[in-house]
Amino acid sequence: MLGTNTRRVLESGRRAAACAVVCVALGCDGAPSGDAAAQPEAPAAVQSVAGSKPGIQLVSPLPTGEWHLPSGDYAATRFSPLDQLDTSNVGGLKVVHTFSTGTLRGHEGGPLIVGGTMYVTTPYPNNLIAIDLTQPGGAIRWIYEPNPDPRAVGIACCDVVNRGASYANGKIIYNLLDAHTVAVDAETGKEVWRTKTGSIDIGETTTMAPLVVKDKVIVGNSGGELGVRGWVLALDVETGKELWRAFAAGPDSEVLIGENFRPFYEKDRGKDLGVSSWPPDQWKLGGGTAWGWISYDPALDLIYYGTGNPGVWNPDLRPGDNKWSCTIFARDPDDGSARWAYQISAHDAWDYDEIMENVLVDMEWGGRMRKLLIHPGRTGFVFVLDRESGELLSAEKFQPVNWAERYEITTGKPVEVPEKRTRGGAVTHNICPSSTGAKEWNPSAFSPRTGLLYIAAHNTCMDYEGIEANYIAGTPYLGASVKMYRGPGGYHGELVAWDPVQAKPVWTIRDEKLPLYSGVLATAGDLVFYGRMDGWFHAVDARDGRELWKFKTGSGVIGNPVTYIGPDGKQYVAVYSGVGGWMGAVAFPGVSADDPYAALGVVGAMADIKKHTVQGGMVYVFGL
Amino acid sequence: MRPSLVLGALALAAAACERSTQTQPPAAAAGAPAAHYAVGPIPGGGERSERTNPFADDRGAATSGRRLFVAYNCAGCHGGHAGGGMGPSLRDDVWLYGGADGDVFASIAEGRANGMPAWGTLLPESQIWLLTTYVKSLRTPHEAQPPR
Repeated sequence: MLGTNTRRVLESGRRAAACAVVCVALGCDGAPSGDAAAQPEAPAAVQSVAGSKPGIQLVSPLPTGEWHLPSGDYAATRFSPLDQLDTSNVGGLKVVHTFSTGTLRGHEGGPLIVGGTMYVTTPYPNNLIAIDLTQPGGAIRWIYEPNPDPRAVGIACCDVVNRGASYANGKIIYNLLDAHTVAVDAETGKEVWRTKTGSIDIGETTTMAPLVVKDKVIVGNSGGELGVRGWVLALDVETGKELWRAFAAGPDSEVLIGENFRPFYEKDRGKDLGVSSWPPDQWKLGGGTAWGWISYDPALDLIYYGTGNPGVWNPDLRPGDNKWSCTIFARDPDDGSARWAYQISAHDAWDYDEIMENVLVDMEWGGRMRKLLIHPGRTGFVFVLDRESGELLSAEKFQPVNWAERYEITTGKPVEVPEKRTRGGAVTHNICPSSTGAKEWNPSAFSPRTGLLYIAAHNTCMDYEGIEANYIAGTPYLGASVKMYRGPGGYHGELVAWDPVQAKPVWTIRDEKLPLYSGVLATAGDLVFYGRMDGWFHAVDARDGRELWKFKTGSGVIGNPVTYIGPDGKQYVAVYSGVGGWMGAVAFPGVSADDPYAALGVVGAMADIKKHTVQGGMVYVFGL
Repeated sequence: MRPSLVLGALALAAAACERSTQTQPPAAAAGAPAAHYAVGPIPGGGERSERTNPFADDRGAATSGRRLFVAYNCAGCHGGHAGGGMGPSLRDDVWLYGGADGDVFASIAEGRANGMPAWGTLLPESQIWLLTTYVKSLRTPHEAQPPR
C-alpha cells in the first residue's frame, strides 16, 4: 500500500526518470541551462511537508522517489518525504541486495538513485559503478574507471575518500582524488568531460561531493594539511569549463569580494582582509579549503558553504585573523561573488575546520518566519544564522566544549578561554573538542515533522603543541603535535536530536565505544537512520530515539544513508559499509596503535577500533 | 617562500645536528644516486642491498634522524612517531620495500608508489642515512624520543 504522500513523490520520481532518458536520447546539448531536466520539479521557493510542525517550511525541491544530489536536496536536510517505511513496520526491514565496491578504503558519501539505476562512487581509485535495480538482486550495468594519478593517495590527509556525486542533465558528476572533476553519461558510462581543477604537486586533492546548481557544478578542494590555498569553483555542467573560482584567502579580487559583499558583523568588514589578516605571503599557503558540503537556496539564489582550517596548524606562525578560514560564505552561484561571510573563529588554534553542512530551513523564530541556516560546527556549537543577512541568531554547545565559554550574538565573536588557546613551543592540555571536532564532515538530517536536527557527534579531547613547520610543496605543512583521547562523560559517540529553536537536545543516543562517523537520514515515516563505526546500522524513532531496528554490516559504517522508491514501487534504504576516514583509518593495518600521535593525533582516541572492525567496501540495500 | 631555500636552511640546521654523531660522513654535494636495483620481490631471494649505513652503531644518529623526520614533514604523513596516517606505519613489522638499512635508504632516496617523494634529489646522502637510522630505531629500546 502506498500512502498519498508516497504516491506523489513516486510519480515525480518517474517523471524525472523519463526526463533523464529523453535527455540521453537527445544528447541534451541544446537543453537550456537550469531547466526542469536537472531536477524532478521546477524549483519552488519553499515547500510544506505533510505533518510538518507549524511554522516550518523546507527549501524545495525535496528528494522524491529518487536521490539525485549528495544530500538529497539543495538545502542539505537529508530529509525524504517517503513514508512507506515507518515506525510501525521498520522492524521488518531486511537485506535485499548487497554489492561489493571492490575497494577497501573509507566509504564516506552515499549512492545516487536515478531512473532505476543506483550509482556508487568508490574511494580511490574513484570508480563509478552503475547498478540496474530492475534486475533481481541488482546487476552491474557498467563500471567507469577513471584511473586517477596514484600519487594522490600519498597526499590525501584523511584517507582516500569520496563523498559522492550529483546527477544533472543525464550526467553523473563527481570528483577524483587527483583534483579532477568528471562528468559521466548516466546511460552509457562514457566520460563526457574531465577537468583538472587543482594540482597534486602542491598537495591539492578533491574529496567532496560537487553540487550542481542550475547550469554549474560547484567544487571545492582539499589539502588544508599541506599548505594549499582553499577555493570553490564553478564548472559548466555541459562542458566542464571553469567559469569562476573564489579563493578563501588573498586579495578581494581573488576571493570574489566586490560591491555586493555585505557581511553582518564589523569584524568581517574591510578591504583585502584575506591579505591583511596574515603575515606577508602566508595567505598563499593559508588553507581555508572547502571539502565539505554545498547548500543552495533557489529563492535567494545563493550557495552556502564553510571553509576549513588556516595553514599552518601552529597559530604562532600566522598572527592575524587568517581570513577567510573557518568561515561560512554566501555566494551568488552565477558569478561566485560573495554576498556575506561570517568567520566562526578568527585565528584558529585547534584545526576546527567549519566545512560542515549548512542546513537551510524556513522557521518561525522570535515570532516571525525567518530564513535560517543551521550549522552544527566542529567547534562544538550549533550555529543558527539568518541566511539572508549572515546574522548570528544563536550558538549553543552540543558536546563538551572548553575552548570558548559562549558566543556573543552582538559581535558574532566567541568568548574564548585563554588557557585553551594553543601556541608554539608548549603543550596545551585537555582541549575539548579535539581537532576532529564535536562532529566531523558526516552530515546531519533535519525533519520538518519534528523540527529536530539529528547530529551524529563525537566526544574527543586533545593535547596540542605548536611546533616548527617547513613548507615543502606536496608534503604536510602542520607545525603541530597532537594527541587525542576520549572526552568526559563515559561515551565516545552520540546521536543528538537537537531543537534549534530551544537550542538544546531533546534526546540523545550514546555510543560508549566509538565516535559516530556516518551521515544521518530522516524520513516522513518518522524514522532516523544512522550507522556506527563497528558496523551496526540503526533505525530509531525520530520523536524519542527509541530503537526500532538494527543490522550488523560487514565493516564500520561511515557512509550517508539514502532512501528511494525502487522500480517495484517499494521504498528502500541504502548505505555504504566500509570503515575509514580520518578517525576510522586507525582500523587499517598500516596504522600502529602504539603511536597516539599518528594519523595527525587521532590514534590516541581511536586505537580501540581495531578490536571492533576491519576494512570493508559494500553497499547494503534494505527493504520490507 | 621557496621550497629550495627552506631545504637549504634545513640542510644547514641538520649539519649542526650531525655534530652529535660520532661518525661524520663527508657532506654530499649532490643528492643520492638513483635506483640501482629493482623494487619488489627478487626472484630467488638474492642479496638486495649492498649499501652500508655509516651510522649503524651510532645512538646519537637516531636522535638527529628524528629531528629531520619532523623537519622534513615525514611526521605529517607517517605519524608523529611514525605510526602511520597518510603514509604507512614505519613502526610495525611490515616492510613493503625491504627492511634492511640499504632498503630503507633506497625507499627514502628513490620514492615509492602512492605518493612517497624521492628525497634523493633534495637531501644529502648523510641525512638520508640519519633518517634511516631513526626509522630503524623505532620500537627498539634505543628509539629516539619514543611516544609518551
